[in-house]
Amino acid sequence: MIFRKRVELFLRTVIGRAYPRLIGLQRERSWLIFDTLLPLLQMSAFVFVYRAMQAPPEYTGFVVLGGAMTAYWLNVLWSMATQLHWEKENGNLALFIMAPTSRMAILLGMALGGIVATSFRAAAVVLVGIFIFGAHFSAERIPELIGIFLLTLIALYGMGMLFSSLFLLYGREAWHMSLLLQEPIYLLSGFYFPVRSLGYWTAMGASIVPITLGLDAMRQLLFPRMMQQIKFLDVRIELLVLAVLGLVFLFLAQRSLSYMERLACQEGRLTVRGQ
Amino acid sequence: MSTNLAVSTQNLGRVYRAKKREAGSGKEIVALHGVDLEIHQGELFGLLGPNGAGKTTLIKILTTLLAPTSGEARVAGTDVAKNPWEVRRHINMVSGGESSGYGLLTVEENLWLFSQFYGLDWKTARERIREMLKIVGMEDRAKTKIYHLSTGMRQKMNFARGFITDPEIIFLDEPTLGLDVQTSRVLRDFVKNWVRVRKNKTLLLTTHYMQEADELCDRVAIIDRGKILACDTPSNLKRSLNQSSVFHLKVDSLPQPDSQFQGLKGIQSFAHHQHNGLLELSFIVETENALMPILASIERSKGNLISLEKRQPTLEDVFINLVGRGLSEEP
Amino acid sequence: MATNQRAVENLRSLRMAAWLGWQIESNWTDPFLFAIYSVIKPIAGALILVFMYMVVAKGGLSNPLFPMIFVGNAFYIYVAMVLMGVSFAVVDDRERYGMLKYMYTAPLNIYFYLLGRGGAKTLIATVSVLITLAFGALLFNLPIDIASIDWLLLVTGLVLGLLSLAFLGIFLGGVALITARHGQFTGEAVAGALYMLCGAVFPIDVLPGLLQAISYILPLTYWIETMRRALLGSGSSQILSQLSNLELVGVLGAFSVGVVILSVLFFRWAEHRAKEKGLIDMQTNY
Repeated sequence: MIFRKRVELFLRTVIGRAYPRLIGLQRERSWLIFDTLLPLLQMSAFVFVYRAMQAPPEYTGFVVLGGAMTAYWLNVLWSMATQLHWEKENGNLALFIMAPTSRMAILLGMALGGIVATSFRAAAVVLVGIFIFGAHFSAERIPELIGIFLLTLIALYGMGMLFSSLFLLYGREAWHMSLLLQEPIYLLSGFYFPVRSLGYWTAMGASIVPITLGLDAMRQLLFPRMMQQIKFLDVRIELLVLAVLGLVFLFLAQRSLSYMERLACQEGRLTVRGQ
Repeated sequence: MSTNLAVSTQNLGRVYRAKKREAGSGKEIVALHGVDLEIHQGELFGLLGPNGAGKTTLIKILTTLLAPTSGEARVAGTDVAKNPWEVRRHINMVSGGESSGYGLLTVEENLWLFSQFYGLDWKTARERIREMLKIVGMEDRAKTKIYHLSTGMRQKMNFARGFITDPEIIFLDEPTLGLDVQTSRVLRDFVKNWVRVRKNKTLLLTTHYMQEADELCDRVAIIDRGKILACDTPSNLKRSLNQSSVFHLKVDSLPQPDSQFQGLKGIQSFAHHQHNGLLELSFIVETENALMPILASIERSKGNLISLEKRQPTLEDVFINLVGRGLSEEP
Repeated sequence: MATNQRAVENLRSLRMAAWLGWQIESNWTDPFLFAIYSVIKPIAGALILVFMYMVVAKGGLSNPLFPMIFVGNAFYIYVAMVLMGVSFAVVDDRERYGMLKYMYTAPLNIYFYLLGRGGAKTLIATVSVLITLAFGALLFNLPIDIASIDWLLLVTGLVLGLLSLAFLGIFLGGVALITARHGQFTGEAVAGALYMLCGAVFPIDVLPGLLQAISYILPLTYWIETMRRALLGSGSSQILSQLSNLELVGVLGAFSVGVVILSVLFFRWAEHRAKEKGLIDMQTNY
């Protein structure tokens, strides 16, 4: 197939798969409650914990930022990693596999649709943090902040695509693995406190999850004074590592997707439902 | 291998192995065994067999969803195991009872979405969707969300999904399963027409409805327990029974129908099943003389004969003759 | 229908659903992995708070608030697990297994069925709570003395608390009947929200007025406080300290009965609406 045609098919697939995610936002508005309002209240609990401890006000900002990134982490776990499992249960996976298009394009479509939808939730968390909890952020290094944020998302959704392909083969195992990854990553990536508190080497190990470095770098940019004592790595190093993680995860996702598809084909598990 | 073959298989086999944690761990199930098939371009080919015969396994292999464990399969001249990408450009599939699609999308949105995975431009996609929805009688449902559709409607939508990409080869796995008589008729007419009017389009249909295979297919392969038992035109298959006589009897009951007629001379094949409270017996006999001992045996076992009919052989009779049981009987 | 026959059917629904729930929860992996999985999740949840205290609180883990928060957090494991176990069965049966319509056509009691499905998660949650408390007592010197535990208060409070949670699960099952499956689970999302409102990890005294008012009408607020008093001898809230143990359990009991009634009424309404709109077997993947 000529290159232009391949690019066109790739883009059509991305748009096609992103479409249900976007239209779902408008058709089934209960997500406003379940995906935005309620998690917002959960995040607020940690703000009140710090208040009960009479922590410095910057910690409210730490929690708000962590709460915003929680939205993306949950989206990666439940709408990326386990998504191919749901597609299998619904009978769509067989149609995806049979279509002459790139599976990466399908995953990318899911990811882009998910990012747009999740950004509403993350924005709501930040706005509530600012207006209700009075969180203060330093707005001096906005371009770097945007850069870090985007690189974090690329690496994070790259990881989600990798999980998605790994979970292609599995049924409820995928489900439980996602459940298992939820709280431990809240802890290890420092969603509610600076990750440096866990110790240098624990933080280093946790950096395999892009949110760890992304959060630390964003906190350094948004709370420069407070983070001076408790930063993990230099922002520039974190930026570089995130870029590398993004490339590595996307590459691994692509390879593992092909491998897992072949394996699932051999084991006859592409069309097995109710696992 | 001939170049105008749409599908060909050589000694194709598939064995399923139970996983460690599943019951019967390590146990093997042979779903396909040494299947040799050749389907020509432009042909409407039928695969007829009872449930569990291996039809769906064969379709899954040909549509690149399942790898064979032995032998080779080629679709559009390409090996399905070695180059599935190339195969996918030429095919599509519709399965009976399929539940694919996104519940929150409308019928036309779902069809559009799947058309995008085949690279159709939006204008062409819209035209084909409109055309296919008209054919399946769902024009008025284009804007309906699919979780509001009935099973039959959903099946019709999936049927449309298979054809909007205008594939060279389409696989229909029990496409009329669960559909009402009228809808089935419309879809059969469409299928027949699709292959006749469009040159070089090939269609492989699996079914356990013998009338469907008889009515639609240029050629039919009879499959049972993973093996192809016969492959020819429906008329040639039926002609193989021309030297024999086919009798269809209905009795109220018999104590042991399986063993009762064993040893009687002249019986080539025999099958039975319960229908509407009566026991229906099908006999394929070498000569009509074999009928008398059969009737005598029924009388001896105090069965009441309700009806007796001599009829032209059907594909089901061909199946009974080959397998020794009917299409609806459990293996 | 004879009352006896109905009782047999209810019991059968409960038993069958509990067995099914256990199969779904446990047989996806080998027992060793399952055990690790059951331990890691709650401990990670507890460690988040531990680190928050270590980083910020005056006196770190010796801060008097810490044991209250740790115990509240440990018992809170029940909330997400029970709510999800009961309510997610609706989504799971509808969208993954396609079985919800058959459950509705079978002679079973849907309430008992959903409660039974939540049974397995309740059992796993019990193990997780015990592990978390033992972890806290051994590693962080949580002042739990087995000899001074108020067992009567603990058991009564636990039974009433689980009753409210189970029926709150029924309420959410009703919500699930009439809404789409979203990425985040209804049960977990509601549990997350209640985490703040019932003061599981801070005294409700620090909540602003309106949120404090909501906190007063939640049975979980009284339940968590009861569990603290039973295990540690005292609660975390100044306001609730005005209630004696008996009064606290009395309020918890009254609110639990309220939750049961409200949930059953809401579920009936949701069921009616789902049948009216044909949502019993919908597939809402997007």
